[in-house]
Amino acid sequence: MATHTEASRSPHMPNHLETATFEGRNKVLGFWLFLGAETVLFACLFGTYLALRHQTMGGPSGHELFDLKLVGLATAFLLTSSLTSVLAILAMNQLKKKVMMFWLAVTVLLGLAFLILEINEFIHYVHEGHTFTSSAFGSSFYALVGTHGAHVTFGIIWISTLMLQAAGRGITEEMAPKLFVASLYWHFIDVVWVFIFTLVYLLGKVG
Amino acid sequence: MTENQHSDNHAVSPKPESAVKHLISFLIMIILTAAAFYVVIKSGSVVAEHLILPLILVFAVIQVFLQLFTFMHLGQKGSAYYAIFIMLGIVIAVISAVGIILM
Repeated sequence: MATHTEASRSPHMPNHLETATFEGRNKVLGFWLFLGAETVLFACLFGTYLALRHQTMGGPSGHELFDLKLVGLATAFLLTSSLTSVLAILAMNQLKKKVMMFWLAVTVLLGLAFLILEINEFIHYVHEGHTFTSSAFGSSFYALVGTHGAHVTFGIIWISTLMLQAAGRGITEEMAPKLFVASLYWHFIDVVWVFIFTLVYLLGKVG
Repeated sequence: MTENQHSDNHAVSPKPESAVKHLISFLIMIILTAAAFYVVIKSGSVVAEHLILPLILVFAVIQVFLQLFTFMHLGQKGSAYYAIFIMLGIVIAVISAVGIILM
């Protein structure tokens, strides 16, 4: 039980397999630094969007385009997937592999549902004349929401491939930090979406 | 969390973390989200129009802190460095965003 002594010597987050090893703790630490950098990336995109959102060049405005019903549905999908990914991590720390795999699968499916809604939304917008090159509003909108969508896509691929790996290797001290870090990423995506639905869609409806 | 609790946790197989805390914070998030949508859909009749943006921003910030401190386990024992990194990120992020908007 080398890890036992390691964990006792350095009491980092008891009950957490992901920080049971030195490597695991470093992975989680490094990932929080990455999330700090991601926060700055998205803040710049938000700033750009908020500065340019009225520059529609005669094209449709956010008020005309956005459909709050669809946005509400997408928000429900992503919020719920954030809960299911934390439930997967709780199951991981109880070494319940089947439960963990179930919640991870639900997370991925909810992420996919979100992505399908977003792609449909973008296709609809393009038909309405709201494209990346149509105006400054269009460019900043697609840069912000598209970057978020790209993160969701990457998160889906990441969690699915981790599920394949975990299916073979089981819940080990090596797997736990990987799964935990992926769930942190997924929560971060949800945090960004909270600001997107607030500052892009709801603010767009207010005017 | 006391030192006593910690040694207990390692003496036997770890006591599982309860899902109740996460379910409660999820419920609060759903309520805050629904409230933000409601305020905007009923624009002007529930809350004065100029107060809508500050109000929904407050809702969003509360949700972010719920995510960070419950779902992402920030604030637990041994997470001080994680908090420093993300808070530093948030400070730079807010300065960048406000700077770009005011430019």
